[in-house]
Amino acid sequence: MVKEKTHVLSDDGYETSGHFGPYGGAYVPETLVPALRELEAAYMESCQDESFQQEFKELLQRYVGRPSLFYEAKRLAKQLGGARIYLKREDLNHTGAHKINNTLGQVLLAKRMGKKRVIAETGAGQHGVATATACALFALPCVVYMGEEDVRRQNLNVLRMRLLGAEVRTVTHGSCTLKDAINEALRDWVTNVEETFYCFGTAAGPHPYPTIVRDFQTVIGQETREQALNELGKLPDAIIACIGGGSNAIGIFHPFIDDKEVRLIGVEAGGTGNKTGENAATLCLGEPGVLHGAYSYLLQDDDGQIVVTTSVSAGLDYPGVGPEHSNLKETGRADYVSISDQEALDACTLLCQTEGILPALESAHAVAYAAKLAPGLSKDQVIVVNLSGRGDKDVETLAQYLEGGANHE
Amino acid sequence: MSERLKAVFKSEPIGVTRLVSYIMAGDPSVEASLRRLKGLADHGVDVLELGVPFSDPMADGVVIQAAAERALNAQMTVKKTLKLVQEFRRTHDTPLLLMSYLNPLLRYGWDQLVEDASDAGVDGFILPDLPWREGQGLRLRTKKRVGNKLDFIPMIAQTSREQDVQAVSQVTEGFAYVISRNGITGGEVELPASVNKFIESLGNSLQIPRCVGFGIQKPEQVRALAKVCDGVVVGSALVKAFAKLDQKGLEEQDLIEQEKEVFSWLASLKN
Repeated sequence: MVKEKTHVLSDDGYETSGHFGPYGGAYVPETLVPALRELEAAYMESCQDESFQQEFKELLQRYVGRPSLFYEAKRLAKQLGGARIYLKREDLNHTGAHKINNTLGQVLLAKRMGKKRVIAETGAGQHGVATATACALFALPCVVYMGEEDVRRQNLNVLRMRLLGAEVRTVTHGSCTLKDAINEALRDWVTNVEETFYCFGTAAGPHPYPTIVRDFQTVIGQETREQALNELGKLPDAIIACIGGGSNAIGIFHPFIDDKEVRLIGVEAGGTGNKTGENAATLCLGEPGVLHGAYSYLLQDDDGQIVVTTSVSAGLDYPGVGPEHSNLKETGRADYVSISDQEALDACTLLCQTEGILPALESAHAVAYAAKLAPGLSKDQVIVVNLSGRGDKDVETLAQYLEGGANHE
Repeated sequence: MSERLKAVFKSEPIGVTRLVSYIMAGDPSVEASLRRLKGLADHGVDVLELGVPFSDPMADGVVIQAAAERALNAQMTVKKTLKLVQEFRRTHDTPLLLMSYLNPLLRYGWDQLVEDASDAGVDGFILPDLPWREGQGLRLRTKKRVGNKLDFIPMIAQTSREQDVQAVSQVTEGFAYVISRNGITGGEVELPASVNKFIESLGNSLQIPRCVGFGIQKPEQVRALAKVCDGVVVGSALVKAFAKLDQKGLEEQDLIEQEKEVFSWLASLKN
């Protein structure tokens, strides 16, 4: 089989929509093209509109509770030896993860565009809960698509969404996880496009979503920068964030991209092994292709079929990744590594027992990599871990792990 | 432009309009697909669409999703699909378009793909996740490689605005695939009353024939559409009809007999 060596879609400079290097674009059914164009225009307008920006900022302060804490995990660092470790506490946001930053922004945009209905996909349920929350606050009906497998393992979040008044639709085909939920949400959107706003949960998908979601999440990195300068008088040496689609990572990375001395490290789900199907380490093990409207790294087989992924963490269990991360990999500006299920579970208990903080299993991947990196660094070096969410939703999975050892299924 | 495709639209249609049919390659087997392609061609189908299975068909409804799953379970690939076309071309001249999502084709290697497809006797592509404005680079690359042998079929949606239609107004090859309604393929939803008006509104802005697809399965729909377009596409309804036979577990001879009823039903749509 001949493999594509060049990026043929953006070759010759003919691409017209939102690219990060060769990655990105808007590869969607023609029916959605005008909707994406309308979204892009409305978003650009909102960026120039001070009252919109003011409303968003106030919501982040008064409703989400921003700025989130920049907390030094001294006991954790002491136990590991080596670098100082700070946690960017996105887990303390209202609804318990970084996702709310993006959904408030997008639902404000939906209001502005006069849309009557909001749809979303969700993996771990955090984006679903955050979308349902924003929709409750702005009185918009909300439908959330969620894979059957995720409904089972993140049942707490399903109940939360229903309490918030959202309709949760279970997706029962494909691998019954996040990618299938996105397919189904796209099918809903293409059918009800005129009145529906698709609140996309990560910095992936067709243009302009990777840009919009990144921009709404950039507040994480902006605060981190300011907090580091205030508290340390310098920028951190390394920033670590977990990556499924990559929204919390791009949010914290983005304001540091020009600060070449700051290492940016994205941590993917290593699952149970490096073989096809055993992980969700898209940037580490995948190759470029088109899924869900963007050209980016994908986990695929030799025939271009998307493969089933495995991760203990539903939020990272995704065979794609945001196009900006693909470009950061290509340019070498960020490093991408993977952490196994077992390492993530161990990191979860480590953080619980040293700091009294229960991280989401997603965020535990970033903690686990920090635990690997810290001992090799010196005492005056600083690692920032984006603690993107809290782990209450994962207690059942963790309970099984504590009872049954490594066998988390 | 594909000569085979050109010839279809040059001549007068047999029946009220031209018929474009869709089946999924490898659903449920290569042999069945080949037999059905031939049967469709022999029973008055004017243009064949052959689907390439993809694991994540976001523009398709449940019927074609299920067909893709069956084909993938039967180990269908792009390579085998091209071989199937080659085999079909030994006996038949009916124009044939590959309908595929981008990823399996990109993975095959685009330059190799267009050479192999053109050699196999494919007449063009319908790519539901490549909107026209994003495809310019790929189209030029294809032209450089194989000249005008492969047509790209532009899709026009109910949501398309003047600028989208304008973008395909210079196209002189193939036909425009007009999507009958917002949504995915198949389904029992009635076509909106506005569809004829929409096609008429395209007026003289296109230089190419128009074929209408998505949700078409009844003779009265075909008759109504025939007044304003040059052809209709029947996809999910046909895939469903074959799938129903395949589920019966018939002996091959009985299956072949009953397939003829499906061909006749399809042909009757344009009477």
